[in-house]
Amino acid sequence: MSHTVLVCDDAIFMRTMISDILTQSGFEVIGEAETGVQAIEKYKQLRPDLVTMDIVMPDMGGIDAVREITKLDGNAKILMCSAMGQQALVVEAIQAGAKDFVVKPFQPSRVLEAVQRVLG
Amino acid sequence: MDLAKYAELFLTESREHLSVLNDQLLALEREPTAAEPVGAIFRAVHTVKGMSATMGYRAVTELAHELESVLDRVRREQQTITPALMDALFTAADALEAAIEASVQGRGDDVDVATPVERLKAFAAASRGAGAPAAGTPARATPARGAAATAPAAPAPPAVARGSGAGRGVLVRVRLVAGTTLRGARAFLVVKKAETLGTVVAVVPPLEALQAEAFDRDFALRLDTTLPADEVIGALRSVGDVETVSVESPRTGGAAVAGGRGAGGTGAPAGAGAATGGGARAPARAPRHVRIDLRRLDTLMNLVGELVITRGRLQQLVASTGDGALEEVVSQASRLIGELQDEIMLSRMVPVGHVFDRFPRLVRDAAKALGKEITFEVRGSDIELDRSMLDEIGDPIVHLLRNAIDHGIEPPDARVAAGKPPSGTLTLSVARERSTVTLRVADDGRGIDRVRVLQKAKEQGLVDAGKTELTDDEISRVIARPGFSTAERVTDLSGRGVGIDVVMNRVRAMGGAVEIRSRQGQGTAVTVRLPLTLAIVRALLARVHDEVYAVPLAHVTETVELAPRAVKQVQGREVMVLRDDVLPLIRFRELVRLNAPPSGPGQVIVLEVGDRRAALVVDELTGQQEIVVKQFDPVRDGLALFSGATILPDGAPALIVDVGSLI
Repeated sequence: MSHTVLVCDDAIFMRTMISDILTQSGFEVIGEAETGVQAIEKYKQLRPDLVTMDIVMPDMGGIDAVREITKLDGNAKILMCSAMGQQALVVEAIQAGAKDFVVKPFQPSRVLEAVQRVLG
Repeated sequence: MDLAKYAELFLTESREHLSVLNDQLLALEREPTAAEPVGAIFRAVHTVKGMSATMGYRAVTELAHELESVLDRVRREQQTITPALMDALFTAADALEAAIEASVQGRGDDVDVATPVERLKAFAAASRGAGAPAAGTPARATPARGAAATAPAAPAPPAVARGSGAGRGVLVRVRLVAGTTLRGARAFLVVKKAETLGTVVAVVPPLEALQAEAFDRDFALRLDTTLPADEVIGALRSVGDVETVSVESPRTGGAAVAGGRGAGGTGAPAGAGAATGGGARAPARAPRHVRIDLRRLDTLMNLVGELVITRGRLQQLVASTGDGALEEVVSQASRLIGELQDEIMLSRMVPVGHVFDRFPRLVRDAAKALGKEITFEVRGSDIELDRSMLDEIGDPIVHLLRNAIDHGIEPPDARVAAGKPPSGTLTLSVARERSTVTLRVADDGRGIDRVRVLQKAKEQGLVDAGKTELTDDEISRVIARPGFSTAERVTDLSGRGVGIDVVMNRVRAMGGAVEIRSRQGQGTAVTVRLPLTLAIVRALLARVHDEVYAVPLAHVTETVELAPRAVKQVQGREVMVLRDDVLPLIRFRELVRLNAPPSGPGQVIVLEVGDRRAALVVDELTGQQEIVVKQFDPVRDGLALFSGATILPDGAPALIVDVGSLI
């Protein structure tokens, strides 16, 4: 059975890109969220195996969403998607409960490695 | 938000490459056999392809790839440059630009790259048909890990001082993979993982320094654990981006880790010592440039502006205390603020070439579309101008260029018939004159058709029906009227009646002036004069009744007392005789519709814009001051008397007189 993924990013092309990378490697993207609030709702509803989470999103950012999701589910596996220069935010996200991170621009192989580490 | 920042970086870099692309395409068109432009174009396109691939901008990548393939064949001499290929390349370059701009906004799929791609492919097929073995397989872009290039070659192992919890636990050395992005966060993950294995006694460099990325790729931690070394290594290596992990027992480690740089220890302040590494091995990689968000420079400029205002107030206050020592300190602080202001202003200056480099391409396309031959030259593109100013002036200059191409320069046959060479000349020259920059767009075309302008002006009731001739100044004023156009038909380029008036308004809003000189049959030159910066100007402060107004000194030639006998009436209008000149007299009180009678004879400020002058009457001159301009939005229609406002040293606001609109 393939792992299920919830992709959270406010940019459509980013979500598309991440979904493509994951789908092509046999993951099942079962939901997308554009905001932190949506991410939490979708997590409750879908209980995915993995969440990819953008840091900066409108209507509650990724870090707060990580905090809330981790409260809901201590075992939630969240992979942060960050850009260069977001070091402090990534550290904060890890403290909030994120398991790993990938840095944009994405290389599919690195995204998949990170996903494997988080699920591993 | 931060994605946007990244996209912006991508956009900025791509634009630079697009500029190179266009320049080099023009060079190639001029000299189709030259090798250098082909190489430069290839590199530019290749870089764009790599960047867009990592960004996931497929349209950009696809088009860039196709361009790259064609150029590769040209480079290998499997393809010759023909006018048709040049056109295809130019079209593709345009599409690439559109795709980049659209992609960055997340609309990459909206741009039609298929058409230009097919066109390029057709050339490939043709050249392949000619027997050339083309490497046409669409290469998947394999983007390089950019950061790797900046990693130092041979980092020394980190030194752990004796004091950093030596004796307890094992010493774990970790080396990250070269080029790891966000290695601070990665190191943090490693430490966090280590915490699941036992107690982390110390981290070197300290955690704060790690998070601030104040290390190369090596760090160490002391871990109090009961787990065997292999398990520790295995667990930490699973974190990702970890190249090696080594574990030393306290006994062997004690000697091995001795020495070092005295930094470390959990109590060491973040970034100290270990942060930058010992002087001997610090690689010379000081960056010579940094990218700064323009908004940040604007903020700096605003702050220093406020500082300049505060300085004025401070100087005023200090002067009244008579405290010598205090005055000295204040004057020193004033000087420093002045230097700071200069430096910040300089940091905002960029060569006009940044914006003007795209014009040759624009002129070429416009000329081609109209079947005209034009030699275009940009002079002084290294002259620097305030960035915000440069962004503002781009469009007006484009407008002037288009006007010249559309209305000024004649078609080749008409030129030959007029005894001119078939190819017209268009020049954009930039020059610096003291505290102003002049930009001149000059052509050797037919010049402004004075007869037509006069006729049209009469039709629209802009001039006396009896008038038989217009001076340059009158022409400037007439064609600057909103909606005035003599063009018979609306072309793609201009003639929509939104012409020179838009240019004039924009320039005036920037505190500049426009001057038009035209000779029938010989050409037109439009000169735009701009202050060096928008933000801070020297101004004359003038009181009218109980209000103080600021008049930019750039437009003031002199001030004189108002002598009643110098005032005369000419055709029902007041003028002032100043030496041999007769200047129109403008009473400020009347402009601002003040009814109270003036308190004294008044002062005259002689204003000059281009070669037009006027005498402005105010109640009193109260001083000179550097003022920080807070700009108003340009007022559409109606008389805009003021271009902005400022805060005076005493804290009162003052309106800044728009001299250009007064005269």
